[in-house]
Amino acid sequence: MSGTYFDAVWDAHVVERLPDGNDLLAIDQVVAHEITTPPAIGQIEREFGGALFDASAIVAVNDHVSPAKDAATALQAQSLRTWAKRNEIPLYDVGDNGICHVLVPERGLVSPGTTVVCGDSHTCTLGAMGALAIGVGTTVQAGAMLAGCAVFKRPQVLEIRLHGRRARRTSAKDLALAYVRALGAGGGAGFALEFTGAALADLSVDERLTLCNMAVEAGATTAVVAPDAATAAYVRERGGDGDAAARWSRVDTSGARYARLLELDVASIEPAITWGTNPAQATSIGGTVPSDAPAEALAYMGLQAGQTLDGLEIDQVFIGSCTNSRLTDLRAAAEVFRGRRVRVPTIVTPGSQRVKREAEREGLHDVFQDAGALWTHSSCGPCLGMSMGVLAPGMRCVSTSNRNFPGRMGAGGRVHLASPVVAAASAVLGHIPGAAALETLLEEAVCA
Amino acid sequence: MRVAGPILALPFSDIDTDQIIPASHLTVVEPAGLGRFLFDGHAELLGRLADAPGARIAVALHNFGCGSSREHAVWALQQRGFQAVVAPSFSRIFLENAYNNGLAPVVLPVEHVRACLDAPHAELDFTTKSLRLPDGTTFAIELDPVRELFLESGGYLRFLYDKIPAVRAWRAA
Repeated sequence: MSGTYFDAVWDAHVVERLPDGNDLLAIDQVVAHEITTPPAIGQIEREFGGALFDASAIVAVNDHVSPAKDAATALQAQSLRTWAKRNEIPLYDVGDNGICHVLVPERGLVSPGTTVVCGDSHTCTLGAMGALAIGVGTTVQAGAMLAGCAVFKRPQVLEIRLHGRRARRTSAKDLALAYVRALGAGGGAGFALEFTGAALADLSVDERLTLCNMAVEAGATTAVVAPDAATAAYVRERGGDGDAAARWSRVDTSGARYARLLELDVASIEPAITWGTNPAQATSIGGTVPSDAPAEALAYMGLQAGQTLDGLEIDQVFIGSCTNSRLTDLRAAAEVFRGRRVRVPTIVTPGSQRVKREAEREGLHDVFQDAGALWTHSSCGPCLGMSMGVLAPGMRCVSTSNRNFPGRMGAGGRVHLASPVVAAASAVLGHIPGAAALETLLEEAVCA
Repeated sequence: MRVAGPILALPFSDIDTDQIIPASHLTVVEPAGLGRFLFDGHAELLGRLADAPGARIAVALHNFGCGSSREHAVWALQQRGFQAVVAPSFSRIFLENAYNNGLAPVVLPVEHVRACLDAPHAELDFTTKSLRLPDGTTFAIELDPVRELFLESGGYLRFLYDKIPAVRAWRAA
C-alpha cells in the first residue's frame, strides 16, 4: 500500500495474494464486444457448461463492425447477441450502440471504485471514471465471466502530474501524445498511470477519457483519475452510481507515494502529431522528424530524418475512435470545418449513436457535410482497418485514433495521429498544418 | 518441457499485434484457421518467416506484442508452429495471453536476445531453466512462478474456476 488512489481501489478488490507480486482480484464488471468475446463464450460453454459467475455484471456491445460488413462479422455479432439473450445480459446493438469505451461511461454503466475488464486494450479509457479498468485477452475475459475474478501482477503507480494552463489549441489528445512520447512505447510497462495535479480540474470527463485512453500505448497496465465533483456529476447525470463517485472521491491521497513521477507543464504542450510507426514517435505541429529516427520507421512512412511535417500532403482524414469521438471532440473539429471545404476524403465517425444524435441536435452533422466530409454511424470504423475507410499501401492519413503501427489502418497505410482540431485542419488544407496555419484556422474559427 | 528448433529472427522493437495479425482477419468466432494470416500484409516479417522454415522460436526486441489485446496473435503464432517467443520485454496483455495458451514468453537481457537473433536455432529446457544456442552458449531462463500454479491446476481457467467459492465468500463478507 502506498496511499495512491489506484492502490485504494486495488486493495479493496484483492481476494487472495499469489506468488511473485500477483493478486487474485475480484472483478466487478465485464464489458464484452463481438470481436474478442465469441471465443470466450466457446471456452466457457465447452469446458465449464456455460455457467457465468454473474450475468448481471456483464455488458455486451456490438461495436467494432456494426452493422456487420459480411457473413463472418454477422456471425460474430449474432454469437454475442444470442449468448446475451440466453443469459439475460444487457446488449447494446445496431441502432443504439457505440464503441464500448464511449458507450459504457455515457450510459452511466461504470462506477468509480470498481474493477472492470474487457477483451480490448483501450479499456484503460474507463480509468477516467475512477474505475480500475484493465484490457485483457479473450481467456482472461472468459475467466472474469466464469469466476468473477482475474489474476494480475500488481503494477507500481506512476504519477503524471499536470500543472499549468493549456492553450486553447492544445487538447487532451495532445496531452496524451505528450505523455506517451515522454514515457516511450513500452516505457509505462509494469506501471499504472495516475493523473494528478491542478490542471486536471480544467479537463472535462470527456477529455479525461481521451487522456486515459492512450495509457496502453505507453505499455501501462491502465490509467486512473481519482473521481471528483465533475466525475460525480457526470455519473449522476447519466443515471449511474453517484454515491460511489462521492464515496471514492473521499479517498485521501495526500500521503501517496508514487514509484515514479512524470511532470507535465500543460502550458508548454503544443498540438502534436506522430511521424513514425508507434504512438510515442510524435512531435509538435510544425516540428521535424528527429535526426535519429529509426530507418525502418522512415521507410514505412515515406519520410526522411530532419524533414518538416508542415505541408506534407495527405490522402485521407479520419475523425473518430475511442480516443476522439465524443461530443466535445466533434465540436472542436466542427469549429475548424465551419464554412470551409475539405480537400481530401474525410470520414467523421461519432463514438456512439447517442453522441451522433446529440451532435445532430447541435447541427454538427450539417457542418461536417457542408464541408464535404462523410458523416457516418458510430463504430470503431477506419481506426483498425477492419471495415470502412481502409487505406491502400502508401496512402497517408491524419487520424484522431490511437495507433499508427504498420498496417493498422490497412497494409502499407501511413497514419499520423493527432487531435480533432489538427485532423480537421489537415482535412481543409489537404496537408499537415504548420503552427502558423493551425493558428490562423483557429483564429478565423473564433471570428466566424 | 522442452522446445527446440529453428529461430525466426525479428530484430525489431514494438512489433504490435496488428503486425502479427491484422484486424481484417479477426472475423472469427473460434481461434481455428488464423495461422495462415500470420504477418499478413507485412512484407518484411513475411519475408523473414519464409526464410525460416520450420521455425519454432521467434526472437524479437523490446515490447513484443504491444497494442491490441487480440489473443489471435498468440493463436496465429501457435498455429504456425511457434512454441516460444524470446524478447527483452513483452506487453503485459501479450504475456498473459501467451502463458494462458502455453506459448512460452521468455524474457532475456537484450544482449542475450541479440545472441539469439544471430543463431539459427535454440533449445529451451524449462526443467533446467536454460536456453542453449548451437555454439554452446547457455542462458538461464525464468518463467513467472504464478503460471506454474495455473499449470498444476490444469490451466488458467481451471485455476479460476476452483476459486469461485473463495470469490463468492469474499463478496459475501
